[in-house]
Parts: sequence; structure tokens; C-alpha cells
Amino acid sequence: MIVAERKPMNEILDMISGVNRLLVLGCRGCVAVCSAGGDKEVDVIASALRLGRKKAGQQIEIDTDTLVRQCDPEYLEPLKERGKQFDAVLSTACGVGVNFIADRCPGVRVLPALNTTFYGANMSSGEWIELCAGCGSCVLHLTGGLCPVARCAKRLSNGPCGGSVGGRCEIDPNVPCVWQRIHDKLVEQKQDKLLKDITPIRDWTTAGHGGPRRRIREDLLP
Amino acid sequence: MIAGSNLEQVLRSGNFAVTGELGPPKSGDFEVVRKKARILKGHVDAVNITDCQTAIVRMSSLTAALLALSEGVEPVMQMTCRDRNRIGIQADILGASALGIKNLLCLTGDHQKFGNHPQAKGVFDMDSIQLLGMVKQMRDEKKFQCGEEIKSNEPELFLGAAANPFADPFEYRPIRLGKKVAAGANFIQTQIIYNVEKFAKFMEMVRDLGLHEKVFILAGVTPPKSLGMARYMKRFVPGLDVTDEVIDRLSDAKDQREEGINICVDIINQVKEIEGVSGVHVMAIEWEEAVPEIVKRSGLGPRPEPQGVEPRLVSPGAIEEAVERARHEIRDEFEKELDKARSEAQASRGLLIKEKESASAEIAGLRKELEDVKRSAVKGEAEIKRLTTELEEAKEELQKAGSLQVVAGEATGGPASISQTEFNQGAMTESISSGKLSLREQDALSSLNLGLKALQKVLGLSEDQFEALRRFLEAEFLLQLGQAAPPAPAAGMIPAPAEAPVASTPEEVRETETKKVAARQKDVINLVAKANVLLHKNNVEEALNLFKKALEIAPEDEKAIEGLNKAKALLAEKETGPAGTAEAIPSAEGLPPCPEEITPEEWSRKWVVRYVAMGNVRLMKGDSDGAMEAFKKALELDPGDEKAKEGLERAQAGKGIHVPEVSTEKAVAPGEKEEVPPAEVIPEEKEAREPEAAPPVEAITEKEEAEAPAPEEEKKEAEAPKPAPKVQLSGTPEHEGVGSLEVPVLEKETRSLVERAGSIPEDLYREPCSGSIKDVLIGDGEKAITVGGETTLPFHLFEGDMPNPPRVAFEVLDSRPEEWPDVLTRYFDDCLDDPVKWARKCVDEFNAKAICLSLISTDPNGADVPASDAAKIAKDVVDGVDVPVILWGCGNADKDTETLREVTSLIGNKKVCVGPLSDANYRTLGATAMAFQLPVVASTPIDVNLAKQLNILLENLGVSLNHILMDPSIGAVGYGLEYTYSVMERIRLAALTQQDEKLSAPIVVNLGREVWKAKECRLPSDILLGDQERRGVIMESITASTLLLAGGELMIMRHPKAVALTEALIEGMM
Amino acid sequence: MSDIILGFCCNYTSSVDEDTLKKAGLVPDGLRIKRLPCTGKLEINTLLDAFEQGAEAVFVAGCQVDKCHNLSGSQRAAKRVGYAKKILEELGIDPARLEMFFVSRGETEPIVEAARHMSGVLSDAESIHR
Repeated sequence: MIVAERKPMNEILDMISGVNRLLVLGCRGCVAVCSAGGDKEVDVIASALRLGRKKAGQQIEIDTDTLVRQCDPEYLEPLKERGKQFDAVLSTACGVGVNFIADRCPGVRVLPALNTTFYGANMSSGEWIELCAGCGSCVLHLTGGLCPVARCAKRLSNGPCGGSVGGRCEIDPNVPCVWQRIHDKLVEQKQDKLLKDITPIRDWTTAGHGGPRRRIREDLLP
Repeated sequence: MIAGSNLEQVLRSGNFAVTGELGPPKSGDFEVVRKKARILKGHVDAVNITDCQTAIVRMSSLTAALLALSEGVEPVMQMTCRDRNRIGIQADILGASALGIKNLLCLTGDHQKFGNHPQAKGVFDMDSIQLLGMVKQMRDEKKFQCGEEIKSNEPELFLGAAANPFADPFEYRPIRLGKKVAAGANFIQTQIIYNVEKFAKFMEMVRDLGLHEKVFILAGVTPPKSLGMARYMKRFVPGLDVTDEVIDRLSDAKDQREEGINICVDIINQVKEIEGVSGVHVMAIEWEEAVPEIVKRSGLGPRPEPQGVEPRLVSPGAIEEAVERARHEIRDEFEKELDKARSEAQASRGLLIKEKESASAEIAGLRKELEDVKRSAVKGEAEIKRLTTELEEAKEELQKAGSLQVVAGEATGGPASISQTEFNQGAMTESISSGKLSLREQDALSSLNLGLKALQKVLGLSEDQFEALRRFLEAEFLLQLGQAAPPAPAAGMIPAPAEAPVASTPEEVRETETKKVAARQKDVINLVAKANVLLHKNNVEEALNLFKKALEIAPEDEKAIEGLNKAKALLAEKETGPAGTAEAIPSAEGLPPCPEEITPEEWSRKWVVRYVAMGNVRLMKGDSDGAMEAFKKALELDPGDEKAKEGLERAQAGKGIHVPEVSTEKAVAPGEKEEVPPAEVIPEEKEAREPEAAPPVEAITEKEEAEAPAPEEEKKEAEAPKPAPKVQLSGTPEHEGVGSLEVPVLEKETRSLVERAGSIPEDLYREPCSGSIKDVLIGDGEKAITVGGETTLPFHLFEGDMPNPPRVAFEVLDSRPEEWPDVLTRYFDDCLDDPVKWARKCVDEFNAKAICLSLISTDPNGADVPASDAAKIAKDVVDGVDVPVILWGCGNADKDTETLREVTSLIGNKKVCVGPLSDANYRTLGATAMAFQLPVVASTPIDVNLAKQLNILLENLGVSLNHILMDPSIGAVGYGLEYTYSVMERIRLAALTQQDEKLSAPIVVNLGREVWKAKECRLPSDILLGDQERRGVIMESITASTLLLAGGELMIMRHPKAVALTEALIEGMM
Repeated sequence: MSDIILGFCCNYTSSVDEDTLKKAGLVPDGLRIKRLPCTGKLEINTLLDAFEQGAEAVFVAGCQVDKCHNLSGSQRAAKRVGYAKKILEELGIDPARLEMFFVSRGETEPIVEAARHMSGVLSDAESIHR
């Protein structure tokens, strides 16, 4: 899923200065799952902003709502009109949601409540880690299912650097060296031949370095 | 030949190559590069120019490489993938090649996190292996990475790569080296080697792969500049294996730099011998000066004459500069010459001085001669004059010579003073180790030193710092010895009494003395503890004796003294009768001792709050004096407390109204309201025994209760839960909560209802029932009891008969209860581990009419005592008392079946009641009970229909309804009592008014366990909740009385007072 | 001076109502107590709303860590209090105005202490509600 985290309240307060009617708009997609922008978080953000405004001696009217998703057009439909009743819509969706509202709801001023962080998984309650970089050209079949692009600090393609010690990354001893794990996994799976092959230089266009990416499936097009 | 660089030529010619390293400056100062290059020139075959090493911004490697080249030093340009993408890298490579750079070391690069711009975006468009491949393709295939042709002047570069034999996974490192070779590496420079053994192993693996024949491997070495640097590398540079040997060598060395060079040379000599090592890469980080020395000492000099080192780029200014430089060089040489001449001159001046010395000696001779001449007075004027001038001249010379000597003396002053301090230090150490210190002191000193060594390791102190610290501490230590002499016990040691006997060594004496002291302390502690226990048990005389004994051993023991005083005071009080009355407000000075976990201030604050509360309560009750007193106490503790002040004012204001009550005392000094002495003087000792959390309301309730008529006592307890009465100094054991177990007889209504109803026709209120309850016999002999048998609703004696009064059974556990509150266990303290004794006590002391033995220990989720063991205990209890016994299993159907079967086989025909039978085990247990004709308890979970169903099932099995007691399962007051009541009531109504025979069994109510597990019975005494024991007793008796009214016939209870109250109620109602 | 202090107590930690405590002179006059089935039920926004609706200080009194009726209710509450404190800090409000207390069941004193502690925090602080 897409993992995001709430921006500091003071930053959001700055963002909404001058806004008198605000809609805090949640998303029940990934951000709800990663406890950053679902119903509960919407309530917390709304409460905090009311308190922040009150402390500053200013009035604000805050309405809250949560959509099933903010990244599909049908769910945004009602917002096109409703959004105009507010000075701004503070979206607690990932960057996708914020962009999509901006794209599809003319006349609605949309602001981000979250920092969209990465594609990751829930390690344990309250902890998420990055597992995929969305680089658009998957090599996981060569690396025992573990991604060196997302999980190696230097995005190495050809084995661990000289800073790998005791299975730990030199960047941070709390970070495992993914190449050590790839090595161990491939050896264990008797795929260690893969470790001897040179992975050629990558084509990063698929990773977005070739401009905004688009995906088309002809058969599904209207 | 690939690129024709000097390094390539050296390596290909089979010479053992030497490369150096040059870190560009963090500035645009080209002089730094040139200076470093000049130092290295001639001692190495090529010099690596680092590319923003450790991700710190420096002059670019390309620029610095060109500057080095312009100095005639061949550069190995380093190139990382961190800062440039493939476009930037290829561009730089083209430029480097164009300007004559022939060696390129391809690296991934240190992560930006380690540098001075950790926020930078790391490019890492490719990794080092892909970089090698890209450059090889540019060189060999004349193609850019994208495949486009390089039309001319493709880069001709001798390609290098790095290898780290010390990173993980070790076994993969040679394979990865192979990948680099395959990708295009011509030479390899390794990570810094200190662990030669591991490197040799690595090389063995490299040779196994045959890589040493495909690539030139240069072993990386670095002279550690200092111990600190070595330690830093060991700890903080990932993938660098600095051995302990290196650390030790440096820490033992007098001159760390010298030793650093030695270490480096030793490593070079070792790696030189390893097959496949073609050279060394000497990385003297910020210490280029060491390189010539290292090369020389390891026998690698002189280097072959460099070939092909030609800078292609020479700026117009460069020539001028070269000239200038030449001029400088010449000047330097000239100056050197000049210096030489100067020193020669100096030397000759020395000679002159010597000559002058001899001259002065000569002069002295001449003077003597002159004297002679004078004495003889035979020489002429002229002669004398000549000699005098000569003398003058000589004098002048002498003076000159003298001043020179002073200069010489100053020059040697430095070293002399150093040696002086060294001498001093030596002397001190000597004095420490000499006989001046006792053995113990030396021990202490050596352990001090050991500790310091450890400290040094932990803190990573430099030698100098450590030395300083050690000296300082030693000095301090000696100083303290001097001050504390003669007995000088070290801090924290037990003072050694008296001098040791001559025969034993001081150590031994100290040891035995320490032991003795310890033993004595133990004795004292034991005695004091015992005494305190006695004191607590009110055995004052004994306690007094023990305290005295303790004080004989340790006259200083504070606890013992305190105890003794307490005991004495108690004794005095005992003799004179209890001093003071129930009015027991702790005085401000004499607060109970502050518990350890809070500060005295907080403690005092707590008491202020308490006093204020006390005052408020008293005020509410109209006791202005009491209130005033309380407020004053609070003010004594905290004169600033607003609440107390306010309360005092209110108390004083309200005082007039209540004057009559207190007038006798107050009348004496009517004008001195402010300074009214406390009504009662409370002796200190009483204070000390005051329970810590004595709630403040006690005094009032106590008084009132004393006056209250007995029958009202119950009500009072319920209304105003009150804390413990004062400790009784004599008589029966103290019960803080409920006082005596005696319960007054409930006044009976003597007139019949008909009488009382007067003119109301009887049929208006009388509703006789048509059904009846079965009666069940439990127990044998005289004390057997029959329960049930009534033909009316409970206690509706005006409607029918109730031949058998409801009964109360005491609950006894088969093992020590774990969760019973203290207010309950205190009655059975002496028998909690012995169920037989316990049951007997219930019968003998508390007049129990029946016993319920709970076999809790058999619970498979608890102690899981085997059925056979539990059965033995049950048999003992049954045999041990003459009253009926109910055996109550643990509630686990299977285990209960097992246990109760065992029991029945042991006790035979005795009419013991067994239970609980549930729908899970009624068959087996029912059959057993039937065989022995035992009454059983049929247990169902608060439901009329389930109760009826189980009865039917039992009857179908053949168990007579005359042998069944129903346990409907109950809830205590506050825990579902109303629901229980309703279910029981419906059962009873069904049996009596609807003649539902299947529900006509008597009801057994196991309520003690339910009541005493409620939190209200477990919470300690508290201002608002009142005394814990009273609370529990009230809860138990209320639950019992309510369920009696609902139809309970056999009540199983726990607290003796609650039982007594319940029995009194039954008695009164029958 | 009656700064409003709002205490959230669970059913098990406090059986005493604020009026009784106030009458006994044990707690500040501004104290309000809200009883909850369990402090674990407390939501972060409830805490923030309490401030917004006029409280100058808020405390939560839950069961002692190992004695929670609902096992981990009070621990959960403590974590939420921690998060709410963080938000207060982001809003420039002294996080000391919000505190978690683990108190033993049914005793009155810890609640009194908690209320007094919060009162102490407010003693020289400016009002949030200008």
C-alpha cells in the first residue's frame, strides 16, 4: 500500500491561514490502513485544527467527511459541487488523491494534510517499512524476491558494497543489508549462480525519470 | 598495453607496484595538491586522487588529478557513481582522457549520509561494476553507454576497482571481485588491511577463482597516525578490520607515529609474500610525509623512473610559475647552503670560544706574572701599560664568551626540565611501590590502576589523557592517605575496631572483624524484628526485653532505641490505662513516619489535606472545636494553606452556636479563642502506633457509636462506614473493622399478623400456597440438619409453615486461600493450612451449623491436586467435625466427578452433601450419589428452565428429589443480586403456587465466594469507602439476607460476623 | 480562579463523584470528571476536543498497568495520551497540560493527587482560551 504520515499541525495551520470554512476529507484507501488519513485521523486533525485556531483566537468552521477512495473519479463526483462551499479542502489522502481532486474538481482549493512517504507494508502495529520503489522494471526474480532498488541505500545491482558488516547496512545499524539477505536467500535456494552474473546498467525511464508515467490497456479503454 | 600509464607499465613489467593517495582540499587552493604531490613524487608509481571521499565536498578529482599530473605525478583518478549520472560521468571521462589522465578507479562511492551534505540526493544511476562496464565499452568498443559510437579519441584508461576483503558476506567477496574483473577491471586496490590473516584467506579464494592471473591486485595499507585514529577506524568505519594487535602496539608505543609507520611496513612485508599481490596501495591519510619513509623501510624504493607522465595542459602562466618555482628551488638550495655555512661558522665560533678559554687561562697566568712583576717592581712603565691593555682586551673577550654560555644553557633548559619531571614522576611511582605504603594501600592502588585501565579502554582515552588522569588520582589517593592517617579506613568500609593482634596479618584481622560485625548486626536486626513483632502482638514486656538485648549488643542501633522507647511508653500506658481518648489527631510535629516512597514535603502535604478534610467533616457535623483543632493542625504543617485558614475561620464563626457543648473548658479563657489549647493531649506513643492511613472521621463516629443503642448499630455501620476502632490493649484479638463478633438478638415481633392487621380481613392479605418444598436431610446423628419442607413463601409464617429454619454453612477451603483479603483470613490465621482444624474452629468457636468444604485445590487450572489426595482431606474433615458437611468441587465437571467419586468411596454411608452436579457430569455423579443415598447439589447457571431440566434429568436417572439441593448460581450485591433474586423467586413461586414439583427442591446459596471476590471487599480502607472489613461483612450479610427472602435455605458464607448477623436475622424472623 | 480541569476516569478507577471530592475540599473547584467504561475507549480527538471546549488541563486516570479490567485499556489510553501530547506540542500548547495517571482501583487519593498535579501545572500558565 501507499504509506503516508501526517504533516505537523503547525504546518497545516500555516497552510490554512485565512481559511474560514474547511472540509477535512479523508480516504478509506491505503492511508486509512496505514492510520494516516482514515475516519479516525480525520477526526483528530479536525479537532487539533479547531483547537489550534481557538488558541490563536480565530474562528474556523470545520466539516469532515471520508470518501471510499480519492483516486477514482466516481467517488469524487459529489465533491465537485460540495467542495466549492468551502474555502479549502484539506485532503488526508496520499498525493494521488490531492492531485486527483485538483485535476477533477475545478474551483475547489485542495491542500495536503499528509506527506506521502513510500510503498510499504505494515511490519507490526505502528511500524511500516518501504519495500518497493515503483521503479517500473522489476528484478525481484533475480534477487530472491528482495528489492535492491527500494531496500539498498545505494540501489546497488551487483551485490553488497564494502559497508555491509554483520548483515547490517552501513547507513544505519538498524537497517538490514538487503544484499546480505539476497545472498543468503539465493544460496539457500541454490540460485547462487545469479550472484555471479553481472546485472547490466538499468533503464530508469520506467522509474519516472522518463517523465510522468502512464499505463494503457487497450481492451479496457472506453 | 591498454593505456600505457606508468602504473600499467610497472605492473606489466612484473615490478611490485606502489600507489599512493592524495585527498584534494576542501578549498580551491591548488597549492595544497601540488604540495602533497611533491611529497609523494618519486616514491610511488601513481597517486589515487579521491572523489569527494566520504561524501565530503572537495576539489573535484578530475581537477586535482590534473594538478598532480602537472607536478609530474601520475594520477589514478577516482570516479564515484554518487554524484553524477551516466551523462556526467562519461563527460568527465572524456575530459580526463583528453588531458592525459590514464588511470581510472571506478567506485560506487560512500553514501552521502556520511558526508557534510546528508540531505543531498544520491544519484547512483549505476553501481561500480556497471561503471566499469560502461568505461570498458567506451574504451574497447568505442561506444557510449547508449550504444552511440565515439567517433574518435576514445578514452584510453587503465581501469581499477576496489575490493573489501573484510566486509560481509566474506565468501561472496572474491566472487564479486570476479564480477569486477569480468566487467573490465585491470587492477584492484583493496580496503586497508590490518588483519593480514583474513586477507590471506581472501587471496586464497581469489587464487582459487584464478583471478590473480587476470587482474593486478594491490593491497591497501595505511599507517595509523595515532592510537586515536586506529580506534576510530576500528569502531566507526564499517568494513574495516583493525586488529587488537595494532591497537596494542600503538598504545604501548612511545612514539605512536613511528610505530604507525612500523606497523605499515610490517604489513607491507607480509602481504608482499602473498601470491597474487602485485603491489601495495599506501593510503597515508593526511600524512603524505610518511609515504617516502614507508617505501624506504619496506625496501620498495627507489621506484622505477616514471614513464609517460606528461601533462598535456600547460597554461601560459604555468611556465612563468615553473620559472618562479625553479627560482624558489634555487633560493631554497641557496638557503640550505647558507645554513650549512652558518652552522659551520657556529662551529668555528665554538672553536674560538675554546681558544678564548685557553686565552683567559693564559691571561690568568699573565696576571699572576703581573703580580709577580708588581711585587718585584722591576719592570718598566711601558711594559705595564702594554700588559694592562692586553688585560682589558682579554676581559672583553671573556665577557663575550660568558654570554654565549648563557645562551647555550637556555637551549638545553627544555629537555632538562622534562627529565626533571620524569624523574619526579618516577620518584612518586617508586614511593608508591616502596615500603611506604601498607599492603592494603598498595592493593587499593593497584585496583585503582586496573579500574583506570578499564576506564581508559571504555572511554577511548589517549595515552596522555589517561596518564594525566592516573597521576591525578594517585596524587589524590596519596594525599588522602596522608590526611586520614593513621587508621585510614577507606570510604564505605566498616570501621575496623581496635588494633589487630600481632599474630595475624592485618587482612585476616580485618576479615574476621568484618564478619563479627556483620554477625552482630544480623543479631541486632533479628532481635529488633522479633521485638517489633511482639510489640505488634501487644506483648510489651517481652518486646522490651528483646530491645534491651539488642541494645546491649549494639548500643547505637537507632531502630532498637526507637523500639525500646515505644515499648516503654506502651508499658506505661498499659499500667495507667489507655491514655487519651478516641480523639486521635496526629499532632503536627508527630506525624507518622514518612513512607519511603514519598518525600517528607509530600507527606506533610498529604496530612494537610487530611486535616483539612477532617476539619470539614467535623464542621459539617457541628463539631466546631474538633474542626478548629483539625484546621489548626493543618496550619501548623502549612501556615499558608488557604483551605485550612478558611476552614478555621468558618469553624471559629460557627463556634458560638455550639458553645453549650464545650462551655466547661472554654469558659476559663473566653478571650483567648485564638490560642485555645488542644482539647486533648495526645501522648506521643499513641501517635506512633497510629495506623498510617487513619482516616480522620473516626473520632466522631466512635463517640456517637458508643452512645448509640445496640440494635441501631447495624444501620449505623451501613450509613457511616467507619474505620478501625482503637487498638485494644488487652483481651481478645484485635479486630479493626467489626469489633466483637457478638450480634445482639433481633427483637421479635410478638404479636401475630392477625392482631396487627386489626380490622383488615385476613383473606385480603393471606394467600396460602398449595405446593410445598421437599425437605432434604444432610449429615448424620444429632447435628444432622434438614433443610426445606416449607409450605409458604420465605418467612410468610402467616400463610403456612416453615418447619426448618434456613441454615448457614461456613465455607472452608482445602488449601490456603490465595485471594482472601486479610480482613477475612485474620479469623483463621492459625488454621488456613489445615482444613480439619479450620472446620473445627468454625464449629467450636463460631458455632457453625454446617461446613462447606471447597475443594479448590483440585482445579486442573490451579494446583491440580490429585483426586485421591483431595479425597483424603475431605474424609478427614468429614470425620473431624460432627456437623453436616457439603463437599463442593472445583467446578471442573470431569475433575469433580473423579474427586467426588473418590470421596464417596472413602466416606461410605455418611450423609455428606456433594456438588456441584452440572449437565456435564450429573450422570456419573448422580449415579454415585444414588448408590450411597447422598444428597447432591444440582448447579445451573441462573435460569429457571435449566434448573428444572437438570432436576428432571436427575430424577430420570433415579435420584430422588428428596436428595437434591438446587444451586441456581448467584451474584453478590452489586454483581447481579437482583437477577439472582428474580430467578430464585420464580423457582419458588413455581414450586409453591403452581405445584411444579420438579422445582420443589430446597435452594442452596453459595454466596461467600461471590461476595468476597467483589472489588469492594478487596479495596483497602479509604476516606470515602470506609473500613474494608465492615464493607465486606455488610456486603455478605446483605447478600445473604436478600437471598433468604428469595427462598435460599442453605447459605454458604465466609465471615463469622456476617454469619452471626445472618443467623440473628433468621432467628428474629422465625 | 476556577481553571477547568477535566479528568477522564474509568469506571473502575473512581467511584467518587467530583461533588463529593469538592465538598471535602480535596480537589480544585474547577475539576470536572467524566466517567468512561474504560479509558481504552478514549479517542485522541476526544482529548483534543476537551481543550477546545474549554478545559485548561486534562488528565486521564486509568487502571494500574497490570490491573486493567480490560487488560490493556489503560496502556492503550497512555499511548493515545502520548500522541495527543505530541499534537499539543505541534500546536504550541504545553503538553504538560495533558497527563496520564495509572491509579489503583477505587481509591480516592490518587484522583485527588492527579487533580492537584494538574492544578499545579496551571498555576503559572497562561490560559489557552483567550
